[in-house]
This record gives sequence, structure tokens and C-alpha cells, in this order.
Amino acid sequence: MRHLSILGYYFAQYIKVRLAYPGDFLISVFTSLAGTVASFGFLYILFHRVSSLQGWAFEELLFIYGFNLVCLGLFNVLSMNLYEFGERYIMEGRFDQIMLRPLHSLFQVIFEAFRIESFQEFATGLVVVVYVWHKLDLPLTPLDLVLFLLRPLHSLFQVIFEAFRIESFQEFATGLVVVVYVWHKLDLPLTPLDLVLFLLMTACGVTIYLSVFVMLSTLSFWFEDRVGVSPPVYNMIAFGRYPVTIYNVFIQFLLSWIIPFAFASFYPTTYFLQRHEFSSFFALVPLVAATFVLLALLLWSRGVRGYQSTGS
Amino acid sequence: MALIEVSKVSKRFKTYDRKEGVWGGIQNLFRRNPREVRAVDDVSFTVDAGEMVGYIGANGAGKSTTIKMLTGILVPSSGSIRANGYVPYRDRHQYTRGIGVVFGQRTQLWWDIAVVESFQLLKRIYDVSDRDFEEQLEIFDAVLNLKPLLYTPVRKLSLGERMRCDLAAAFLHRPRIVFLDEPTIGLDVVAKENIRQFLKRINAELQVTVVLTTHDLSDIEELCRRVLIIDRGHLLFDGSLEGLRERFECKSQIVFELREPGQVDFGRLGFNSSVEFQQLDALRCQAVFDKKQVASAELIKSIVNSLAVRDVTLDDTTIEEIVREIYSRGEVVPS
Repeated sequence: MRHLSILGYYFAQYIKVRLAYPGDFLISVFTSLAGTVASFGFLYILFHRVSSLQGWAFEELLFIYGFNLVCLGLFNVLSMNLYEFGERYIMEGRFDQIMLRPLHSLFQVIFEAFRIESFQEFATGLVVVVYVWHKLDLPLTPLDLVLFLLRPLHSLFQVIFEAFRIESFQEFATGLVVVVYVWHKLDLPLTPLDLVLFLLMTACGVTIYLSVFVMLSTLSFWFEDRVGVSPPVYNMIAFGRYPVTIYNVFIQFLLSWIIPFAFASFYPTTYFLQRHEFSSFFALVPLVAATFVLLALLLWSRGVRGYQSTGS
Repeated sequence: MALIEVSKVSKRFKTYDRKEGVWGGIQNLFRRNPREVRAVDDVSFTVDAGEMVGYIGANGAGKSTTIKMLTGILVPSSGSIRANGYVPYRDRHQYTRGIGVVFGQRTQLWWDIAVVESFQLLKRIYDVSDRDFEEQLEIFDAVLNLKPLLYTPVRKLSLGERMRCDLAAAFLHRPRIVFLDEPTIGLDVVAKENIRQFLKRINAELQVTVVLTTHDLSDIEELCRRVLIIDRGHLLFDGSLEGLRERFECKSQIVFELREPGQVDFGRLGFNSSVEFQQLDALRCQAVFDKKQVASAELIKSIVNSLAVRDVTLDDTTIEEIVREIYSRGEVVPS
């Protein structure tokens, strides 16, 4: 719990660091947005040509995509240092300082830097999910849609462009609450259970991503070489954005049981999309998340014990 | 009771020899040649509360490895360490609350932002109350003149300024033990003096136990009553500075200059074999002797009385020379 209260201070500290170089920050926000736009653009163009992908409609895919982005966005915010762990901490010896502070070492590594611009992905994903959810059940008037799209975006822009203050995240959250409220008010089929499940699934998704990359980072404790496993694995996240059924058995198995990215994006969405043939997988999501986070923590503490530090 | 107890501690590293060149690099991919390095070998010592101990050794002697084991960064391969009531690597969370660490080569401050921001975050990390925080800053400011630096980004500080801030950061949570790994490295005379004064005061007034490593032996001479010398992983000496001087052959030398060129008959001075005389050139002569056997005052008196000399200079063996001697011999020669 003490860790949780310090988290805010770490975040604020990093915001200050980023603000020391505002130009750099703005450019990275811009490129991040461009990336998101491009990936949705691809999906749109794809479905311009085909009407369905092995029985999955455009909206359904959009939903999976959006949900994936919600988890991925949060993961990207948190994973900046995991990604560069070997280089920044082990090879440059910064892990020494980590060991000297009375906080959990993994906590410090993760929260010493944030990829703030990825909040954009999180927000965009959320917008898409809300949109599809709505679209599949009730016809929306264009005005409604504009309302839905604008509210989270408005607060998102405040977060990213206007103030960069943590307080703005409250506004962002408030915007989301408003969206959910209106959604409810318009009598969309969203039970409280759905909402709780959605939050739980988001948490599980982020946890699975983080765990996988924590495990990859721990390799740096044993191999002093720059081990370049993280980028290819990161690229595999893209596989999880589509229904696993479109892949061959080998990739299905890989995405489910070896690097369980399907449990972080596809399987969670099946429940909300009412594809009940996957309900047993859906039920397994929290278990997979818990298993992987335990494995990751175990591996991490073994790595810390074997830490060799650098010369001098 | 001892505050730090180190008993029979060893640290072995496995390193991999690399072949050179592009082809060698490719070979390294497939075959690694492990080699075991004993960075620290069977080292034991204790440090009492309130002591200020200097830990010296050549590059690669095992100083930093020892400090890293003492601070809980590294796990000893064998042996045991207890400090401030904890096993450093095992009880890391509780232990690190009670210690402060400064690595001269590195900073723990956030590089891109003002110094005070780092202090504020450290204050949260160590749960320092507002009152204690202000109080500590006042104390540091008095000796380290910190206030003018607080609102400057760390990357814009000079090395000396940064070191002052790093020291303050390490003492912010009132640690009982402080480990300093080469705190004066690369600093000018004024900055060094500044830091020494600070350490002296902290040690005397706040009873902080200090273990410091350094290459600058004047640090040790000014600060520490006790030294530990480590070489190639072995502890060679543990005792007082005077003890170190006594234990080694302390040859002193006197060089004197004659008023007029000429050959000197050293026999008339009457010191037999206890003093080694040598004529360096027509004007200058040298006398090498052991202070324990011959009092330098006696020797000078005798020279000045018997010979027509213009100038006399006395050179004592410095700690530096003793240490150089130890490093090159790699063992302690009993006196």
C-alpha cells in the first residue's frame, strides 16, 4: 500500500522529466497518434474489400481491436523501462541504485519511466469499444456518436496537450464516467456485471502483457549481452488483435499457452460479443493472468539474487 | 557491539572471455568460455558504531564488490554479513532505510530536473517528515552550501556541486551507516575539503558510522583513524594509520646541500651502519635511515654541526608510498 501511495509521486516525477524537453514530448505524442490511426486505417481498408473474416464481422473485429488497444495502451504506458531493462539498468549499472532504496525493485524499474503518450491508445481503444458495443445493439444517431466520441477525446486532449497535470487524468476519468452514464441512460444493454467484467478483463490483459515482458527482462540478469527478444515478442501482440480461429493450430496454441496474448485480448472480448463457444477460455483469463504474474515475480526475484552489477 | 560484522565473506563471479574480431564475435555466440574470478576472498572485519573507516585498494582489488555486498546489492558467494541488525541482501527493505550510499561515479538524483525534486521524492520514499526534512536541509546547507543549487537541473551542476547534492541525498533520511564509494573522485581541492568537513561533522555530531573507499590517501589521513587495505580480494591490513606506518619499514631520508663542492667523509658523523649515506653530486648528499633507530633531530644536528651545509630537507615516508609498496608486493611484510 505504501508503494501505491508513492506511485503518484513517481509519475509526477517523470512528468517533470518529460516536461524538461517539451518538443520531444509533443513529437512522440504525435507519432503515437499517427500509429494508432494507421492501424485502424488498415482494418477499415481490409473490410472495404471483404465483408467478413472467417465469420467475424467488421464490428466484431473492431471490438477486439479496441479492447486490445485498451490493455495495450496501459501496458505501453508502463512498459517503457521493461523494454530497455537490460540496457539501462543492467549494462549501465543503474540497478545498483534500485537495490539501495526501500521499495520493491520491480516497482521502481517499472515506475521510473512512463510512455505517457500511450494513454492515447488506451483512450482510443475505449472509444472504439464503446462505439462497437453501441453499434451492435442499438442504432445510434450521428449526434449520439459525436457525443460519445468527443467526451473522452476532449479530456484526453487536456491530458496530453494542455496541462500534462495528473489532475487532468481525473477529468479524463470523469469523461469516461459520463460516457458510461449516458450509455446507461440511453438504456444500452450494459449490466453492472458487464462493467465489472470489462474492468477485470482490462486488468488481466495488462497483467499478462506486463508479466511476459518482465520475464523477458529478467533474462538480462543472466545474459550480459543485449538480448533482443523483446521487439519480436512485442510484434506478436498484433496477432492477438484478431480472432485466434483465423490462424493455424500451431499459432493458436502458441498464442494461448506459450505467450498467452490471446488471453489478453481475444478471449476476453468473446464474452461481450456473445460468442459463447469460447466461454471456457474466457473463464480462464484471470487464472492465466495470475499464473503468469506469479511466474514473472518468481523469476524476477531469482534474477535479483543472481545480479552481478558492473565494475567499480 | 559491532555495528557491521563481516565474516569469511567471498564473492566469486563468472565471466566469459571474449574472442576478438568479427569472427571471434561469431564464435562467442556459440561457445562461451567461463572463467571464475574471485573478487573478494575470505574477508572478515567488524566496524563499531560511530567509527569512520577507510577502505583502500588498487583498481580491481575488490573494494566496490565489498561495498556492494555490504549495501545488499550483491549476494555473497559464501560467508556472512550482518549490519545494523540485518542481513543486507535478505532484509533489503528494512536495511536500506537505515543506510545511505554514495557512488562517486554515479548519481542517484534525477538527471533532467531540479535537485529539490529529487530530494522531495526521496523524502517520500523514506517517509521523512516535513520537519525532519527541513531540519536536515538546514544542516546540509550550513556545511555544503546547498541552497543555491536546489533549483538547478542536475545535469547542469559541476561535478563538485553534484557530489554535494548526492551526499545530502544520501543523508536525508538520517541513516545510521553511510557507505561512500570514492566520494572525492575527480574533485578539485576545494570541493574535496568541503566534503571532508561535511563527513567529519556528520560523523561527530550525528554519530553516523562511515565506511569509505578512496584512491586519495589524503582523504584517509584526514578522516579515518582506521584503515582496511584490500588487494586482489584479500584483506591485507586492518588497523590504525600509525600502526600501518609502524608495521612497515619506514625509511626516511634527508637531503642536504653543501656550501662548497667537495667530497664528504661520512665516517666522521659517527652513525656507522644505521644511516646510509650517499653523495649525489658535488654539492648534494643523501642520508637514508630508519626513524625507529635514529632520531631525525639527532641526525640533522650532527650534519649541521660537522659539515658546512646550506640547506637540509627531510622526507618522511608517506602513507601513499607504503600503500604503493603493498600493492606492488601484494602481501604484508611483517616488520
